[in-house]
Amino acid sequence: MCGIIACIGHTDDTVDVLLSGLSSLEYRGYDSAGIAVSNGKLDVRKREGELDNLRDAVDADPISGTFGIGHTRWSTHGPPTDENAHPHTDADGRVAVVHNGIIENYQELRDELEADGYEFVSDTDTEVVPNLVASFLDEGYDAAESFSRAVSRLEGSYALAVIVAGEDAIFATRQDSPLVLGIGDDAYYLGSDVPAFLSYTRNVVYLEDGQSVTLRPNGWQVKNGDGAVVEPPVNTVEWDAEQTGKSGYEHFMLKEIHEQPTALRQCLSGRLDPLEGDVVVEELSDLDTPGAVQFVACGTSYHAALYGAMRFREVGIPAQAFLASEYATAPPPIADDELVVGVTQSGETADTLSALRTAQGRGAETLAVTNVVGSTASRECDHVMYIRSGPEIGVAATKTFSSQLVSLSLFVESVTSNTGSGRTRALVESLRDVAGDVQSVLDDSEGEIEDLVDELGGSDAYFFIGRGYNAPVALEGALKFKEITYEHAEGFPAGELKHGPLALITDETPVFAVVTGDDEAARKTLGNIKEVQARGAPVVAVTDGVLEVERFADEVLRVPETDGNLGSLLANVQLQLVAYEMAASLGRPIDKPRNLAKSVTVE
Amino acid sequence: MPIESAVVLAAGEGMRLRPLTKYRPKPMLPVTNVPILEHVFDALVASGISEIHVVVGYKRDRVQEYFGFEYDGVPLTYHVQEQQLGSGHAVLQAQPGVDGPFLVVNGDQLTSPEIVDAVVEAHAAGEQLGTISVVESELASRYGAVSLDGDTVTDLVEKPGEGHHRLLNAGVYAFEPAIFDRIASTPAEDGERSLTTALTSAIETGSTLTGVRTEGLWRDATYPWDLLSLSAEMLDRSDEEVTIDPSATVADGAIVRAPVVVGPDAVVAPGAVVGPYTTVGRNASIGCNAVVEHTIVDEDTRIGPNATLVDSVTGRGVDIAAGVTIEGGDGDVRIGDRIHEEVELGAVVADRTELGGGVSAEPGTIVGAEASVATGVVLDGVVEDGVEVVR
Repeated sequence: MCGIIACIGHTDDTVDVLLSGLSSLEYRGYDSAGIAVSNGKLDVRKREGELDNLRDAVDADPISGTFGIGHTRWSTHGPPTDENAHPHTDADGRVAVVHNGIIENYQELRDELEADGYEFVSDTDTEVVPNLVASFLDEGYDAAESFSRAVSRLEGSYALAVIVAGEDAIFATRQDSPLVLGIGDDAYYLGSDVPAFLSYTRNVVYLEDGQSVTLRPNGWQVKNGDGAVVEPPVNTVEWDAEQTGKSGYEHFMLKEIHEQPTALRQCLSGRLDPLEGDVVVEELSDLDTPGAVQFVACGTSYHAALYGAMRFREVGIPAQAFLASEYATAPPPIADDELVVGVTQSGETADTLSALRTAQGRGAETLAVTNVVGSTASRECDHVMYIRSGPEIGVAATKTFSSQLVSLSLFVESVTSNTGSGRTRALVESLRDVAGDVQSVLDDSEGEIEDLVDELGGSDAYFFIGRGYNAPVALEGALKFKEITYEHAEGFPAGELKHGPLALITDETPVFAVVTGDDEAARKTLGNIKEVQARGAPVVAVTDGVLEVERFADEVLRVPETDGNLGSLLANVQLQLVAYEMAASLGRPIDKPRNLAKSVTVE
Repeated sequence: MPIESAVVLAAGEGMRLRPLTKYRPKPMLPVTNVPILEHVFDALVASGISEIHVVVGYKRDRVQEYFGFEYDGVPLTYHVQEQQLGSGHAVLQAQPGVDGPFLVVNGDQLTSPEIVDAVVEAHAAGEQLGTISVVESELASRYGAVSLDGDTVTDLVEKPGEGHHRLLNAGVYAFEPAIFDRIASTPAEDGERSLTTALTSAIETGSTLTGVRTEGLWRDATYPWDLLSLSAEMLDRSDEEVTIDPSATVADGAIVRAPVVVGPDAVVAPGAVVGPYTTVGRNASIGCNAVVEHTIVDEDTRIGPNATLVDSVTGRGVDIAAGVTIEGGDGDVRIGDRIHEEVELGAVVADRTELGGGVSAEPGTIVGAEASVATGVVLDGVVEDGVEVVR
């Protein structure tokens, strides 16, 4: 959940490189931040709160060095305070450490070290690492050996970067936590994610679990867990540095909402064959039609998984979506020809990885549907399909949800061979239109949603309802709304209202009803709209207008008509805009809502 | 001090290009499948500009979303001009981002690296406040005219309309930062600050402006049909006769007549004849046996089987059903209160409009955005945005 940056090889701007790296990583969490640089001795600056607090601290009391490490933290152990911020050092300030993940045996190690006279000042699990390294230095080992001996004592998940006073090197390793090496012309970098150093280099090495790396001013070396030197492949990142900036938008979230047409075009490019009426996903060509499918996912990705499961059921393949955090606790039985699909934007979501590992442990074939090339999920699963959204920085997922819906639609068609069938042909045409349809929603929404927000702001709670393919959208609409506005919002499959939640409906609880097409689900939703309207709730219909919902709604947000159940995706774009405008009107920190982080790498 | 940064003016709608500008500003209209603004950026990057400031306003999402934060390795910074209060006002928006001498370039006119290079060079060679690109053109009286005494600019007139003018202000300038104060201190006229007014007042008060004559390409689209001649010019200048994106599909039985550009994920079905002088935008489709020549088919547009489109411009997401006939040739076009006679234009069909099966259009027809025309209707004149035409 935290973010790590490190660099070596810069002479006078090390501090700037570290700070700008941290700023690119802020989306991973932001409750405190810190840096340590070496100039023979180690200097540390760290502050609780946003990165600007750290900047102020550095301005007030400048430090410099030729290499260093930095960290943004999202609390797992101990509250966000200056003491608990990283980097952590031993009492003598000989060793400084930044860490992402959890050291599970830290209490045992801490007891041991305290018994030997090492002093601890923070509540964090991380602090055992510098003390452990220091204890090996005290036993007479050199810095590199002390580092590897310390690592061998650790249990849990971690990405670590360590510097030792008097040693011109950065030592790092990873286990179940992301860490990427960046290779510049005269400088080397480490980051939890590529944007940390994207302004300096596009050449990266994705480290494997158990590997460690040593960076020195004149080079780098990667070793396996057994100490053998390896030559890992160097990848070139094609993402543009632009994509880590806001391109003139107020927030990353708004930028990413507006990027959806482009993201969908990228997702679909080369995967549709309209002349033959076929869907071709190259990376899935070696995947047979599964007998059944289990999806595992969290948050927004879980809502996409619900949609994907429905699509499989529509073509006659049993499919279910599971919350990844619940999956391992009571895993469902897995049939021989069953496929387990992890949907995770970052490919690093700890709960989803854990569910996938549980499934793998039971012999299941696995597929990762992810946005991040080289992510842990993409490497650990038997198959991977990329959603090609480009980086998403806003904590609230927007464009990646749309790309997930489209990717899962492509996935279902590509593993079930219906080439040329009327249904597939129609879906291919609808998919070809979907980017333009989203653009049309964005173009026509100007001004409309601000007015709606003015009208509905200050209500007691907000409810979102939909049936069939629109049920996941109701859940997603409510999740987006609550996570960035901090207002109470809940989503329900529309038919469930009368089984309980209807008791909450008053004239102070606006209901957003998603109705597209004119199938049975849509017609039944109309009935549910009447239920809430009879109780005085203001109704906002999000609809393509195929059914005459207007008559029962106080406000209407229109989406273009489309086929193939893609109306749900379009309706969701309207709900994204509603959440965004409401959060903006309330002055929320939209890109970094409180208590949340983009990529949740702890279970 | 060498010139490193450029301010590109891309905030205006381009009203005379309606209905094509309903959802995007003029700089984002396509010429050879890429926005005019992209051609401008190409010229700047080719001339070694390393920092581009884009002044955006009308429908700015479209610019920002398309280009993002960087173009071809050159960082882009956006400056918002909330209200379009003149070109001088637009330049002032970029002031916080600029230090040292800089270029000002119109983002809605095609320009070339030769013009940019000439301005950069001439500006570096002297001590003047500003340097202005000048091309010889009979269009000078329709745009901005320049009077020169040797290399020194003696007067600038916007759209003089009459009189003998043959030196045209090609819309590429280099300035010293002092220009910002000059613009700010020139009184606004009717609430607008024009760059031309600021420059003429600078000349009157003794500042030197240098004119540099160049022969590089300068082209502007004033009206929708001008896009066709810009497109033809750029297709002729291209090294490639036929450019088909690797992700596009051109069926075996389709015929492509150069020059033609087919964009990413576009589809040309069997029996279709595409070209000459035709561009098929990203993700567009040309149906079986359709004939499309001298035409711009923009992104996401669908041309049905057996349709014929000649001398036409489509917007995005246009749906042209089977058997639509737009024969092309000369027609009279009404824009506002003015009739343009004998214009070579089949039809303009703006964004997201649907033409039903068998619709035909007289030359010079303009169909607005999100209109819908029923099967078999014969169109002429102007169909406004959002109108439903029944038989």
